[in-house]
Amino acid sequence: MTETKLTARNVDVYYGQKKAIDNVSIDIDNGLVTAFIGPSGCGKSTFLRSLNRMNDTIADARVTGEILLDGEDIYAASMDPVALRARVGMVFQKPNPFPKSIYENIAYGPRIHGLASNKADMDVVIERSLTKAGLWEEVKDRLHDAGTALSGGQQQRLCIARAIAVSPEVILMDEPCSALDPIATAKIEELIDELKENYAIVIVTHSMQQAARVSQRTAFFHLGNLVEYGETDQVFTNPREEKTKDYITGRYG
Amino acid sequence: MIFTAVLLAVFGLGLVGWFAARARARLLYTGRGSMHSMPGYHGWHMALWIVAPALLAWGVWSAIMPGLVESAVLADPAAAQLPPDAMNRAAILADANAIASNPDAVAFNPLSNALAEPMRAAQQRFGLIGSLLVVIAALAGGGYGFTKLRAGFPARTQVERAVLGLLLTASLMAILTTFGIVASLVFEAGLFFRDVSPIAFLTGTHWAPGNAAGADLDENFGAVPLFWGTIYIGAVIAMLVAIPLGLMSAIYLTQYASGRIRKILKPILEILAGIPTVVYGYFAALTVAPIIRDFAGSMGMANPSTESALAAGLVMGVMIIPFVSSMADDALAAVPRAMSDGSLALGATKSETIKKVLLPAALPGIVAGVMLAISRAIGETMIVVMAAGAAARLSVNPFDSMTTVTYQIVQLLTGDQEFNSPKTLSAFALGLVLFIVTLILNIIALRVVKRFREAYD
Amino acid sequence: MTDAGWQSPEFARRLAKRHAAERRFKWLGFSAIALSLAFLALLLFIMLRNGLGGIDWQFLSGSDSTSANVAGVWGATKGSLLTMLVTLLLSFPMGVLAAVYLEEFAPKNRRWVEWVEVSINNLAAVPSIIFGLLGLAVFINTLGFPRSSPLVGGLTLALMTMPVIVISGRNAIKAVPPSIRDAALAIGASKVQTVFHHVLPLALPGILTGTIIGMARALGETAPLLMIGMRAFVATPPGGITDPSSVLPMQIFLWSDEIDKAFVQNTSAAIIVLLVFLLAMNGLAIYLRNKFEVRW
Repeated sequence: MTETKLTARNVDVYYGQKKAIDNVSIDIDNGLVTAFIGPSGCGKSTFLRSLNRMNDTIADARVTGEILLDGEDIYAASMDPVALRARVGMVFQKPNPFPKSIYENIAYGPRIHGLASNKADMDVVIERSLTKAGLWEEVKDRLHDAGTALSGGQQQRLCIARAIAVSPEVILMDEPCSALDPIATAKIEELIDELKENYAIVIVTHSMQQAARVSQRTAFFHLGNLVEYGETDQVFTNPREEKTKDYITGRYG
Repeated sequence: MIFTAVLLAVFGLGLVGWFAARARARLLYTGRGSMHSMPGYHGWHMALWIVAPALLAWGVWSAIMPGLVESAVLADPAAAQLPPDAMNRAAILADANAIASNPDAVAFNPLSNALAEPMRAAQQRFGLIGSLLVVIAALAGGGYGFTKLRAGFPARTQVERAVLGLLLTASLMAILTTFGIVASLVFEAGLFFRDVSPIAFLTGTHWAPGNAAGADLDENFGAVPLFWGTIYIGAVIAMLVAIPLGLMSAIYLTQYASGRIRKILKPILEILAGIPTVVYGYFAALTVAPIIRDFAGSMGMANPSTESALAAGLVMGVMIIPFVSSMADDALAAVPRAMSDGSLALGATKSETIKKVLLPAALPGIVAGVMLAISRAIGETMIVVMAAGAAARLSVNPFDSMTTVTYQIVQLLTGDQEFNSPKTLSAFALGLVLFIVTLILNIIALRVVKRFREAYD
Repeated sequence: MTDAGWQSPEFARRLAKRHAAERRFKWLGFSAIALSLAFLALLLFIMLRNGLGGIDWQFLSGSDSTSANVAGVWGATKGSLLTMLVTLLLSFPMGVLAAVYLEEFAPKNRRWVEWVEVSINNLAAVPSIIFGLLGLAVFINTLGFPRSSPLVGGLTLALMTMPVIVISGRNAIKAVPPSIRDAALAIGASKVQTVFHHVLPLALPGILTGTIIGMARALGETAPLLMIGMRAFVATPPGGITDPSSVLPMQIFLWSDEIDKAFVQNTSAAIIVLLVFLLAMNGLAIYLRNKFEVRW
């Protein structure tokens, strides 16, 4: 049973005069993984960043159209981007832990949002987040070591734990495995599969195999347009559009 | 002073407000999403509303209180005896003020003693009123802040807005300083140019502010010898020392020295830049100048003076070496490696490559560095004050004593003379010229450096 | 035009000449730096030779005096400390806040922002004596602050130091990678929280290094303080920031002017004291840079 979490209607994204996303409409459902694929520069990351208003931090980026989270317009004046980003978390291409301890990395979010009123509560949040991110067993004895001292794959799982710690509803992942080796990648993919029970997950990836492995829905972007969106199986085995077929069979990209 | 106590009280109130509002907000908090902002922000919001209006009231009252006190004192019967002319009046009131705050002070005019008591009374009265106003402002602000304490109130947004205002104010300080410099220089120099024609000042060759009086002002404020001395010492002698030594040092450090030697030598060289100018000045006067004087004597100069352009320029040049060296270092480093590789691959030696390829390519950057160095040298004060001399003369003999713009500014403004005489005001006119010249040098140099960097990026 | 011939004696001779030129050039570079350092060594040697004998408890704890053997540097040192305190309290917060604004919040491509930036870059290169003229005209003649006081001295030097702190602060803030900002923003930190919780703490070592270097420059400054009359003969250490006072470099300048030969020792000894302070500050700056600098 799925329900729609995020709805985009006729979204355009501009960088200055340049139109990076052209008239994209898409529904993203709860409880499954949606993959955005497409050649580099097709706008998939740009679109992803507009889902939690990270584009606001880019000086001349502009978003038009409508993006609804549970029916609420996230670009409405009444929507505080800060509150929005607590509900729609994000994991980046390169692991970016704060140069602080593992504990502090995760504690920061709950602290600014007031999710733990004392140390004991915080400890619970930390353990739960790390456990969900599959990192607890590896780091439970060294929570106060620097987060930056972990391996790349562990750092990325730490970043996922950090995002989970503020109990988001949606997690956006921008090529989360592109800086990792195959073993670390496998772990993250496994983790994504577990997390989808509780969150709506959107993942941007340049690897079609990865999209096929982890996602239930796939959206193919090309030159700022959403070319095709459907069940992952259908998109990969029986694409409706010629362009999708060309991309998937490796004719370009 | 009562005001200091009041200020402390205001900050104390702010602290209390911070704790109280935070505690209250914590009670309102029932879980995730129940409040727009964390309790801490409600604390800050409250503290701001207590402290900011109080500080504003304090500032306004500090500005108007002296006027109120003065009019109260003037209303006193004893004030009827005050002399009518403004200058004496002000002096007597100032003395009365001094006695009011310190009973041991001695006044020139007995009237001051008579006025001290009413002065003290008025100060106390208005001080009390002011303190009351400040406290009322704090309480009123706090009360307003308290009415805002609700779960949905965006305290964080408000506090962050205040923080942004503070940041903006801090960055506007830079403009304010520039404006202050320009305004004070232009204003005081303007007063000077009412008495002395700018043309006589900029083109006259006789500088003797000491004997200037009455009608011959124009003849005694010709600043050309100062400009000449400044240029001769700062832009000629000092650069003859600093450019070759600085440039060659940079070349050696960047092109020849091994990484380890470079790591040791560069910081040592930079110590030269960190030595205070007064130390250079003393060294110039104590050690370098006598050597130069003796040398001049042995060359057959009659009564060589201890103070000489050469001594000052030489030491100034040494002071500038690390500056030129680091500018040259940057310029050389900006030249793409491929350029010198091309030359080396043709079989050119390292020195040939440096001279024929590297230096020409880095030239704009080096020239800009030299311009900044000149701007530094001509603004340098202590070395010339201690080693160059006071004689305003147009000479090309480096063994002569010469004077500079900065030396004269110091001369004109130290010692006790009344502030508004042409003599003291001329210092501001000299300052204005110095400011404009260094500004132009800096702007051109910074622009050249920028364009140079972009060319190789 | 003869054939060059790599083996010909003509070419060999030419090559030897070029190698000789190469050695000469390298030697020239080495002598340039050796000469500069020799000058530094000479300066330090002379100051140590003249001054070291003059440093004793009497000298370190005394104040200025007309008699060379009872004169000391404590009065001037205290004046310097008070002046530096005023300078630091004003220029550090102002400089850091301005740097934060310009680097993180200032709107791009606005005329007035450009003006602020140009102002700061130019102020950093304005001759120090001009700041003295500003201090004299504004703080003393217009606002009526007490002449010769650490308050006015500190204010004047703060205006001079602030641009240095802003410039180093901006560089330090710029060096914090954008990914840290993204990380904080993505978990719902506001822009202000991101900057004050994450970016500023990471930039702090760099900012502190720049601040110490700026403060060291201010500590060695004499010319602007001459303008605001901090050259008074002060026989007792100042009690507060509004008392007439002297500062270390000014004491050096005043003693260097004394006719009495005995003051030569005092002057050099005071220079040693000043240089020790500066060395300690620069050492601290280098230590901070090495210890806390994070490489990304």
